[in-house]
Amino acid sequence: MKLSRRLLLSGAAIALSAPAYLRMGLAQSAPIVIGSMTPLTGGGGPYGPEKSDAHRAVVAKVNADGGVMGREVVLVSENSETNPEAAVRAARKLIDADGVSAILGTWASSVTLGIMPLCQEADVLQLYSGSSDYLPDADRKGICFNLQPLNRAWAVALADLAVQRGFKEVGFAGPKNDFASSMGESFGESMQKLGGSISGEPFYYNPDQASYRAEAEQLIQLDAPALFIAGYITDFTPMFRELVRGGYTGQIFALSFAVGPEFKTAVGDAANGILHGSPVPPIGKDSYDAYLELVGLTPNGQVQASYGCMAYDEINLCLLGMEAAKSTEAAAVAAEIRKIANGPGDRITTFAEGKALISAATPMNYDGASSSVDFQPNGMLQSRDFALYEIEDGTDTILLTTTSSATE
Amino acid sequence: MESYLVAILTTASVYAILAMALNLQYGLTGLMNFGIVGFFGIGAYASGIVTETLGQPMVVGTLAAMVVAGVAGALISLLSLRLSGDFLAIVTLGFAEAMRLAFNNEDWLTRGPRGFLIMTRPVLDGLSREATPWFILAVFAAATLVTYLLLARLARGPFGRVLRAIREDDLVPATLGKNVLLYRLQVFVLGSAVMALAGSFYAHYIQTITPQNFTTPVAILVWMSVIVGGAGNMAGAVVGALVITFIYEGTRFLAPWLSGLDPTQISSLRFVIIGVLLIAMIRFRPEGILPERVAPSRRDADKSPPPQTRRGTT
Repeated sequence: MKLSRRLLLSGAAIALSAPAYLRMGLAQSAPIVIGSMTPLTGGGGPYGPEKSDAHRAVVAKVNADGGVMGREVVLVSENSETNPEAAVRAARKLIDADGVSAILGTWASSVTLGIMPLCQEADVLQLYSGSSDYLPDADRKGICFNLQPLNRAWAVALADLAVQRGFKEVGFAGPKNDFASSMGESFGESMQKLGGSISGEPFYYNPDQASYRAEAEQLIQLDAPALFIAGYITDFTPMFRELVRGGYTGQIFALSFAVGPEFKTAVGDAANGILHGSPVPPIGKDSYDAYLELVGLTPNGQVQASYGCMAYDEINLCLLGMEAAKSTEAAAVAAEIRKIANGPGDRITTFAEGKALISAATPMNYDGASSSVDFQPNGMLQSRDFALYEIEDGTDTILLTTTSSATE
Repeated sequence: MESYLVAILTTASVYAILAMALNLQYGLTGLMNFGIVGFFGIGAYASGIVTETLGQPMVVGTLAAMVVAGVAGALISLLSLRLSGDFLAIVTLGFAEAMRLAFNNEDWLTRGPRGFLIMTRPVLDGLSREATPWFILAVFAAATLVTYLLLARLARGPFGRVLRAIREDDLVPATLGKNVLLYRLQVFVLGSAVMALAGSFYAHYIQTITPQNFTTPVAILVWMSVIVGGAGNMAGAVVGALVITFIYEGTRFLAPWLSGLDPTQISSLRFVIIGVLLIAMIRFRPEGILPERVAPSRRDADKSPPPQTRRGTT
C-alpha cells in the first residue's frame, strides 16, 4: 500500500475531527460526564475490574431512576495501567476531550498523585482509594477524597496486636514503594508510642525480583523475635518461603491481601500461625450487602470485593454531591460531599435515598459499603473497620475487629 | 477537544525529541540503545532537583540535566561502546534499570517512590489559564524544531556521512583514518544530552515524577517511533513519534463503538488494535513512513540512481 500525502492528510483530518462530532451530538442532552480510571492491567490488575464494575452498576441504576439533576450520567472508563505515565495521558483524554467533572477509582498512590496536578489545575474532583501517607500533601484545593485509611491507621492496629502478643521489638520489611515505605515509618512510630521499637532500620527490598534469598538472609540475621512484612502476594510469598527455608522461627505479621487463598495453597501448613490484618468492609451490614447484590455477588459473611465496595462509595458520594450542589463545579460538590458524608442527618446508604432527602431539603449522613465514610478536613477517611486474623489450620480465624481511627 | 489535542501534541513533542536522539544513535550510527528511559529519567530528576531543591530557574535545570546525562552517556559508552551492537543493547538496558532502582531508593535525593513534585513550569508569569497550555506547546514545539534543525544538519553533513559509514561497516571509516570510537562516543553523549532535554521538559510539564514514569514501555514507544517513522531520517523520527502517539491516543476513542464490552475487554482490545496497526505498518512499509534518503555524491549524481541503503533493501 502506498501511503500518499493526500491519503495521510485526509485520513488524519477525519480521525481527528471524529470526537468533535461525537461531542456535538452529546452536548444537546448535556449529560454529566464522570471518568472512571481503574487499574485494569499492571500491578493493580486484580482489583481494577471490580472497581470499574461498581462504578458502572451505580451509574446504570441512577440513570434508570432519572439521573442526576435530571441529567444523564455518562461514565467514561480508562485504564490507568497502574502506571503514572500512562495514567497521565489517560487523564488528559478524560479531562480535555471528554470534559469529565470527576475522576474516580485510581488505586496506586503513584497514579493518584501523578494525575493530581492535572486534576487540580482543571478543577476536577478526585475520589480514590490509597493509603500512602503522602496522599493529602498535593491537594491544594480540597477536592480530593480517599476511601481508604492511610497507613498510619493500619500501623496502629498491627502494632497494638504485636505488643499484645508480647512482641516489643518487631523487624520491618517491605517492598520499596510508596505504600510500604510510608508504612514502615508509621509502624515505627506506632511501636514507639506503645513502648516498643523496630529492630534495626526498616528494611526495604526491590519488588519483582527473581529471588529473595539475600533479603531473607539479612532479615534472619536481624534476629528479631517477630517480623512485619508489608508485602503484596507476589513478593510476600517468595520472601516467606526463603524465611522458612532459612530456619526463621519467629512470629510473622503480614497484610491480609498478601496471605489470601493463593498464598495458603502455595505454602501449605507453613502458613499456620501468621498474624495478619487489613481494613475490611463492614461484613453483614445492610449497605455492604446492598453493594454486593448490586454487582451480582451473594453476601457470605466473608470479605468480598474489598476494593469494589470503595468504588461504590466513590461514585455514590460523587453523584450525591452533584445532586446536592446542583452543579458539577468541583469546590461546590466537594463542600456538599463533606456535609453528606459526615452528617449530621438522616442515615442514607444509596443515591436514591439521598436524592429524596435533597429534594426535601433534609440533612443526611451517608453510610457506605466500605465504611461509615466520614472525612477529615483534608479529605482523608476518619476511620474504618480493621480486622486482625490468625491463620489456623489453613484458614483465617478472626481475632478482633476494631474501628481504627486515623485521627489519633 | 482542542485542549486535549494541545496536551497530546505537547506529549508527542517530548517523544519526538526522544525519537530524534535515538535516531541519531540507532538510525544513523547503528548503536542499539535500549536505555533511553535511563537518560530520560536522569534528565527529569536532574532538572527537578536543580529547580526545586536548589531553587534555580528552569533553563539552568535543563542545561544541568543535559550535562549530567551527557557525562553519564560518556561513561556508559566508554564502558560498552567497544562491544558490538547486541552487547551494547544489554548494557544500556541494565543501565536504565539501575537508574530506575537508584531513583527509587535514594529517597534523600529523589524522594523515592512517593514521587518528586515539581512546581517550576515552562510558563511566563501572568499568563491566563487558557493561554498556558498553548504557551507550553509553543515552547515544546520550538525545542523540537531546534533539535530537528541541529540534528538534521549534523545528519546531512560530513559528520552524518561518517556515522552512516560506521553503521554500514565500521572497518571502512576506520581504514580511512576515522576514529570510530570517538565518533560513537560523541553520538552517544549528544544523544544522551538530547534525551535529557526531553526528560527535563517532560518533568516540568507533568509536575510529579516517580521512578514508575521511567520504565521500559516508554523506551519501546520511542523505538517504535523511529522504526515506523523511518530509521535514519530525522523528519521520519518526528513523524513516527506523531503517528505512534496518534495510534496510542486515537484508539481510546473507539470505546463508544464497543459498548457491548466491559472496560477491561475494551482496554485489552485497545492494545490488540495498537499491536495490529503497528504490525500492519511494518508489514506494508518496512522502510518506515519517511525512508532514509542519502544524497548521491556529486560525482555520480548524473549517472546512476541514489545508492540503496542497507535498510532500504531489507
